[in-house]
This record gives sequence, C-alpha cells and structure tokens, in this order.
Amino acid sequence: MNASVRIGARSLLAHRRRLFGTVLSIVLGVAFLTGTMVLGDTLRANFDTLFADANAGTDAVVRSARVLDAPDVPGGIRAPLDESLTERLRTAPGVSAAEPSVQGAGQLIGADGKPVGGQGPPTLAGNWIDDPKLNPYRLAEGRAPAAPGEAVVNRGAAKAGGLEVGDSTVLRTPDPVRITVVGIATFGADADGMGPSTFTALTLADAQAHLTPKGSGQVSTVRLRSDSLSQRQLVDEVQKLLPDGVEALTGADATAQSTADVSGRFLSLFTTLLLVFAGVALLVATFTIHNTFAIVTAQRTRENALLRALGASRRQVLGTTLGEALAIGVLASALGLLGGFGVAAGLKALFAAIGFTLPTGGTVVHAATVLLPLLTGTLVAAASALVPALRAARTAPLAALRDTAVDASAQGRSAAVRKAVGALVLLGGLPAVVVGATRGPSLALTVGGALALLAGTVVLGPVAAVLAVRVLGAPLPRLRGVTGALARRNAARNPGRTAATATALMVGVAVVTLFTVFGASVKATLDDTVSRSFAGDLAVTAPATGAGGSGVSPKLAPAVAALPEVGTAVGLGRGAARIDGHGARLGVADPVALARVTDLGRVDGSLADLGTDGLAVSRPEAEAHGWRLGSTVQLQFTDTTAAFTVRALYAGGGVAGDYLISRPAWEPHRVQDADTLVVVALRPGVTVDQGKAAIGRIAAAYGSPQVQTRAEYAESSASGVDTMLSVVYALLALAVLIALLGIANTLTLAVHERTRELGLLRAVGQTRAQLRAVVRWESVLVAAFGTTGGLLLGALLGWALTRASDGAGTGSFALPLGRLAVVALVGPAAGVLAGLRPAARAAKLDVLRAVAGG
Amino acid sequence: MTAAARVEEAVKEYGAGETRVRALDGVSVEFAAARFTAVMGPSGSGKSTLVHCAAGLDTLSGGRAWLGETELSGLGDRELTLLRRERIGFVFQAFNLLPTLTVRENITLPLDLGGAAPDREWLDALIDVVGLGDRLQHRPSQLSGGQQQRVAVARALAGRPAVVFADEPTGNLDSRSGGEVLGLLRSAVDTVRQSVVMVTHDPAAAAYADTVLFLADGRLVDTVQQPTAERVLDRMKALDGRRGKAAAR
Repeated sequence: MNASVRIGARSLLAHRRRLFGTVLSIVLGVAFLTGTMVLGDTLRANFDTLFADANAGTDAVVRSARVLDAPDVPGGIRAPLDESLTERLRTAPGVSAAEPSVQGAGQLIGADGKPVGGQGPPTLAGNWIDDPKLNPYRLAEGRAPAAPGEAVVNRGAAKAGGLEVGDSTVLRTPDPVRITVVGIATFGADADGMGPSTFTALTLADAQAHLTPKGSGQVSTVRLRSDSLSQRQLVDEVQKLLPDGVEALTGADATAQSTADVSGRFLSLFTTLLLVFAGVALLVATFTIHNTFAIVTAQRTRENALLRALGASRRQVLGTTLGEALAIGVLASALGLLGGFGVAAGLKALFAAIGFTLPTGGTVVHAATVLLPLLTGTLVAAASALVPALRAARTAPLAALRDTAVDASAQGRSAAVRKAVGALVLLGGLPAVVVGATRGPSLALTVGGALALLAGTVVLGPVAAVLAVRVLGAPLPRLRGVTGALARRNAARNPGRTAATATALMVGVAVVTLFTVFGASVKATLDDTVSRSFAGDLAVTAPATGAGGSGVSPKLAPAVAALPEVGTAVGLGRGAARIDGHGARLGVADPVALARVTDLGRVDGSLADLGTDGLAVSRPEAEAHGWRLGSTVQLQFTDTTAAFTVRALYAGGGVAGDYLISRPAWEPHRVQDADTLVVVALRPGVTVDQGKAAIGRIAAAYGSPQVQTRAEYAESSASGVDTMLSVVYALLALAVLIALLGIANTLTLAVHERTRELGLLRAVGQTRAQLRAVVRWESVLVAAFGTTGGLLLGALLGWALTRASDGAGTGSFALPLGRLAVVALVGPAAGVLAGLRPAARAAKLDVLRAVAGG
Repeated sequence: MTAAARVEEAVKEYGAGETRVRALDGVSVEFAAARFTAVMGPSGSGKSTLVHCAAGLDTLSGGRAWLGETELSGLGDRELTLLRRERIGFVFQAFNLLPTLTVRENITLPLDLGGAAPDREWLDALIDVVGLGDRLQHRPSQLSGGQQQRVAVARALAGRPAVVFADEPTGNLDSRSGGEVLGLLRSAVDTVRQSVVMVTHDPAAAAYADTVLFLADGRLVDTVQQPTAERVLDRMKALDGRRGKAAAR
C-alpha cells in the first residue's frame, strides 16, 4: 500500500470518534439533498404516469388553440369548443370513436357536509365518457349517469366523503348542484383516483349546464381514437377538418404537455424551494466540517512535521489530509444517500401533515439523483478540508520539536489583512443591501449585497468573536466566579475556532430570522390590506388551496343582498385576460357597490361609468403601464380581444386587485363563473352575530361556504403564511441541528486538546461539576455569539428582502419581537445541550493520566 | 578523510530588531565520515541549531553547509525533502514515531515515503539488533520510552543514510535505556561505518562518541578526541569557568 494512503487510512481509523461529528454533518446534509431529489423524481414520474394513464386510450385531443396563461392555472385557461364539431369528427376518415369531454372545477361535498379534498390537488368535475377506451375511469360499482342529477364519483373521493351508491349530496360548480351517486369509479383498473384529485362525472348535458359558460352546446375538448391510423396520422387527418382557432394534438403530446405544465410550475417551484434549504444545510455543514478538519490538522501538527522531517514531500502531506477528507466524504455521502430515502418519505409526511397531499406511488430514482448528492457531499468534504490540508502541507519540519501552534487569526499581520478584507466586503455589502432594498427596489442588488454581507461576516468572524465573547461573557465571572471566568477565557483563546463554530449556527439562525421577519411582514401586509380596504362587516369565502376548490356561487351575493339584515352584499368574481402580453387577474364585480363595502381609496374618474367596455385600474399598475384616464387597453380573452377604456383609477393593494370590470363586461368572455369573495355590509342596528346567522342559513343552500367576520377573514387570509413558516422552520431545523453538532464537535476536540490543563485544574481542586460547568458555559457563549450574529444579520436581510420584493411600495414591515425573543433564548439553550457530551467527557478524565499523559 | 557533512562560516539568526538572537556566529565544523561525533555545549550555545541546519531541517542565515558533496544552501523545499528522505536519518528527543502506525511501519516509513522497497536482509538484521522482533505489530503507545527510541534508531538506520543526526536521543530516558540506544548508534558506526552526529548535554552519552565538539555562544570552542566521561566533564567545567570569569570581568 502507498505510504500516504496508509497513513491517511490509519489516522482516519484512529480519530474516528473525533470525526464522528463531521461524518454526521455530511450524512444529514446529503440525506436532505437526496431526499429532495428523490421526492422530485418520484413526483415527476407519478404525474407523468397519471397523465399517461388518463390519456391511455386517447390517440388525439382536439381543443381550442386560444389559451390564456393564468397565474394560478397550470396549462392556462382554454376557450370551449362547439359541440357540433364532435359529430363532424366522428365521420372523419380513420376516426374509430370521438367523444366530447367537458371539464371544470367541482367541489364535492361529503356525507358530513364538509368539502372533500380541495387542499392542493384539483377537485374536478366533468361528463362521463361512454367510450370505455377514451374514458380513463372504470365503473367499480353501480352504473354510469343517465338522467339529470345522476353522478359517478371516483372511489377515493367516495371513501373520503363517506359516500355510497344511492347517496345524495351537493357538488359546488360553484353553484350548488344536487346529485345522486349512481356509480363509483376507479382510475384505470384499480387506482382510487387520478392521484389524490377528486372527480365527479355527470351526464354530458348536466356537465355542459354547470361547467360551460353558455350552459349547452359547448365542450372543453373532443377525444379521438383510431384503430387504423397512428396517432400522428390521425392528427394530420383531423387537422384538415378543423376550423380556425382549433387544434389537434396526439395523445402522447397531450400527456407530455400536462406533465410539463405541472412540472414547470408546481414541481420546479416545489423542488427549488426544497433545494434551497438543502443548500443551507450543506453550507452550515461546510463550516462545521472545515472547523473539524482545521482543529484535527492543528492537533496533528507534530505528526505532519515529523513526516516532513523524515522526507515526506508537501504533496504527500497534502495528499494524506485531502485523501482522508475524500474518504470521509464518500463514506458519509453514501450513508446520506441511504438516509435520503427516509428523508423523502419524511418530507412527504410533512406536507401531508399540513394538508397538502402529494400523489402516491413507487419511489423513483434517477442516476443523477444518486450521483449529484454523492458528488456534492464528497466535494463539500474535500473543499472544507482544502485550506487545513494546505496549512498541513506547509508545516515546517522543525515543528515536530515544538508544542502545538497558537491560533493567530485575531492578531498579527494576517489579522490586519483579515480585518481590512472583511471590512471592505462588509462595507460593500451593506450599502448594496440598503440601496437594493430602498431605491429601485432591486432584488438582484439586495441578494448580491446579502451574499457580500455574509462573506464579510465570515471573514471578520474571529475579530468579532473576541469582542463578542468579551461582551456576552461579561456577566459570567460575576455570576459563576472562576468557572465563568475560565469559560469566557477558553471561548476567546482560539478566536478563529470560536468564530468558525459560531458561524455555522449564525447562518442557520440568520436564515430562520430572515424567514420569520419576512413572514411576519407578509402577514402584516395582508392584515393591513384587509383592514385598510375591507369596509364590510362579514366575508363569505370557500377556502381552498392549490388547484382545489371551486369558489363561491355568483348567485349567493344577490341572495344575501335580499336579506332584511343586509345593507349591501357584493360578490367579487375572478376573471382572466392577457394584458400587455401577460396573463392578468381581473376583479369582476358591480364596481359602485364594491366601492361601498371596500375602501378603494381616492377614485379618479367614475366607477359608475365602466359599462361593458370600461376598466378600472389601480394607480400603481396604471403608472407601470403608462395609462391615464381615457387610455385604451386591449384585453385578450379566451374568445376575442376587446378594447377597453380606462374610466377609473383607484388606490392599489386592496382586496379588489389591480383590475376591475363590471359583470356585464365579463359575461361574454366568462369560462366557469365563480366568486372568490362576497363582501357584506349589514344594515345599521344589526349585530354581527345576527347577520352571521342569517347569512349562514342562506349559504347552506349554496354548499355552505364559510361566513367570517372581518377579523376572522383577515386571520384566515394570513393563515397560509403561518403554515408556510412552520414548513420552513421544520426544513431549517436540520441546518440548526448540524450547526449544534458542530459546536459539540469543536468542544469535544478542545477538551481532548486541553487534557493536561484540565487534569491540572482537577489536581488543584476543581470538582467534576465545576469542570462540566466550564465546558457547558463555553458552549453557551459560542451559541450566544452565533445566535446574536444570526439575529442581527437575519433581521437586516429580512428587512431588505421585504422592501426589495415590494415593488409597489404598499407592503408593511414587521419585526416579530416575540418570535425573535424565542430564537434568542433557544439558541444559547441549545448551546447547553450541545455542551453536554463534551462536558461529560471532560469530567470523565482521570486526573493522574491527564497530568502525566504526553 | 572526507567529511560526511560540514558547515563553513555558518550564521543563524532568529527574530528581528531588539529581539534578534544569533544562534550560530560564523561557526565552521566538519563531521567526519564513518565516525561518531557528539556536539556539546550549554543551553543556548547553538548546538541543536547547528545540527538542524546541517541536516536540512532549517536553513542558515549566512555561510554554507554541505552534506557530502551537496551544498544545502541552494536547495529548494523539494530537494531538501528528498535529501532528508534518502540521505539523512533522524532521531529526536521525543515524538519520533507516528502513533497510528505499527512498529514495523514506523521503521520503514522513510522508505515507504519514497516508494522504495526495503532491503529485507538489512532490515531483519536491524530488527534483530534492536531487539524488537516480537513487537513489530505493536503501536508506539504500547512500548516503553527506551523501546520507542530504539525503534527510532532502527528507522534512522533503515535507509542506510549518509548521516544519522540525533538530537538529545537519550534526554528522556533512564541511564540503562539510554545506554542501549547509544550502544546501537555506536555499533552502527563500528559495523557498517555509519556516520553519526549527536547533540547531547550528558557527558556519559558523549563518551560513546569518537569526537566531541564543544560549542558556546554560537562558536566552536573546543574539540576532544576519544573522550571519556571524566574528560568531557572536566572540559565542561573548564568552559563554564572561562564563561564565569568572562562574565565577572
């Protein structure tokens, strides 16, 4: 065996306990990365399979070519087709079957009166397709719908809603439709449904009545199959017969597009988010690993010097140290890879726990998913060890005759350079962050500045550590006497080491703080929006997240308005159009009534004059596009493009959104009509409770949407933020855990290094308890330093991110002092935990051996 | 007789300004080949520095040093490393062995670093002489201090270097263990004509040498051939007396 390799392997085995923390850090980081990628792969494959199954017997899909990219609808909103096209296609050459398909949103209500699903996965409704090859669903029980009001539901939805054949319930489309379940269907041969989505199938006439704009004669798509032609030939054949604005694509292409729509929007966002947190965990791990190698190498100075004296070249010493790191990296990454499968399952469970169900299915792993984390983990280990290895290679042979080197990172010439470089980077980063946040605002500049700030903090760390330990530790000697004084001096004696250890925690805490501040600000903005613009007493909504739910019936608002307790009730509908090349959301309402129950701020022009070709625009949006009162704006709908005139301008940032048009103006272009919100103002003298009760009785007939007071509405608008924050905290917990491991590891190494000194202290009468306390307090000091730095950095960056991402300048900034105080307390408390094992090891020292040992 | 190693007008200074220390002050010394040379002197006389510089562990501030025909002053780190690996053997006062390697691996370490195959016969003979045949698979921590130093001597001799430099090899040992180590060095000189240079402050250790060089204040002040412990002790007392008088004046 090669000498360098053997030396490396031997020292690896000899120091395995010391390297345990390093290995664990890499294992955790790599496991997170792998878990994220495995989850991404699995979801992508599952979606692919789902869409492929859904189109299994379909050779071609005919659909409108007019599509609007809507911000929250995967694949966009497509115009309907004329039903008569189906008949023409049936007789086309090569076509064996052609079936009309109507698809829309339909929220099924379970036997208990509660919505089935709706938190993430789509809640779909459509027609039952008679041709079994074109219909991906199979009847498991009962029969197909034949009469009005009859429906088939998928088995998963039936189970979740407690529905059986013969039961009666309501389908919100969003108008409540009374249905009787006549059949229960499986997706394909035996799946409960198309992933976790729900599907309610009606007769074609019912589906058209409730899910298409005109209520009859329209279909969403026509599905074709051919026994004689290939998919491509069929499409070519059919294409000749299609009118303008209608397109045909192969079943395979339709599958690919659906998968891409979901992957492109939901999945990439989802996996990118997770990868960011895996990145944070790995960054924290890098600090921890680097620190361990730096300490272990310093402790091995004499060994390396001896090797150099005996004729080992610099390259051999470098190779030995790097080889050791590489071996650890490969080993730990391999372990992390295995752990990653567990993490993938855990992440799935985490999202399920907050009500966000992901499609289930076998775990899928691509080669890249194995290679990338393996490579990343190994590289992180090697890169972390590079500087210590170079330092080891530079060891002077004569160092073999001296005792271990002193840490000079806070003094001398290199410290001066360090101070200068750190200050320079910090001074460059700070203005960039501030300017990026306030002028512009520019997200790129802010992020660049934030990275510079982080780098500057890392470089200045050792200098700051001395100061911080002095300040934070100031009360210790008074509180804990000589024990406290020793802890404080120990924490300050290797500033480079203390700083590197604390930096790992600092990064973790900074990211936690950043999200806490940003989340609180988003919440404050939402709160502010509601309290500023919501002038009504009650709100009616149908809460749902992701692609689920179907909104509130547009018929509810007039019914509520007719109540004697109610003064004004206005439904706010959601329309979509392409404006200036971008998909935009339109508020659809009676503008004058809306102005009575919401505060639109100062209104220029007249809301009463919108008519069918007028548009009201929020002032910031109008400024961004350069519109004034009287400007003409082209609105491209799914059916036509129409010219609208800007007739009113109002303050932005409210519940009304950026664009308002009247109901008559929207009517010709609507797809499936739904209100997102009904705002209610009660008559004078009617209490909120009385109003709530009265509206609740009416709402029961409309599928029981939620009736909320103003405060409840504000609360529920912001509840998504809290859910998101809990997920973020759970994801960041790993990074913080790695940082704490780093503290524990550094202290264990320090205890090992100070064996003689500790023995001396014990010999002159220090009790085991006192010795433990010294180590524990040192741990607390390091953790306090990291936490303080993280809080400051995170709060600053949180402020910058809030400002930089608020283009309109209407957002609020909030510093959640309570939550931050919790972070400030948890950090040092975790330091106590991290100090437990090193303290126990120090206390176990044998006094005589410690003093005599060489 | 040619010198195994020599220095000419060697100067070594540490530090700068006020704290500058002149450890070697223009000393010229020859270490004879196939002989056992001891270097003695009081603390701070520059004896260790002299040996470190002659052995390529440290570089001179002025003057020149040779190992055989090779001049050290012009060599870079790479050449010096190869020189140490192939032509020099070391025995330090303490910490001679890598704690993670076995006794046998420690002995062949310089050879392994160069990728050279050890001369089996020579190695076996060496191990036999050192008397650690049954301890080859042990770790250094399982050996006594004397045994550890004997392993270090075996390691220094394993590559048949031009010179073995020993820096207080018996400094940490009791007299019996020390005697064993010195006996090993002596017999290497006698049997295989190994050149050995040893720094020591112990007159009894110096008595094993063929020649004793006395250093004081970075200069060569005396030389004794075929020393005995008594003669060395007398010279040391004489030197101390001179220094004492010089200090009194």
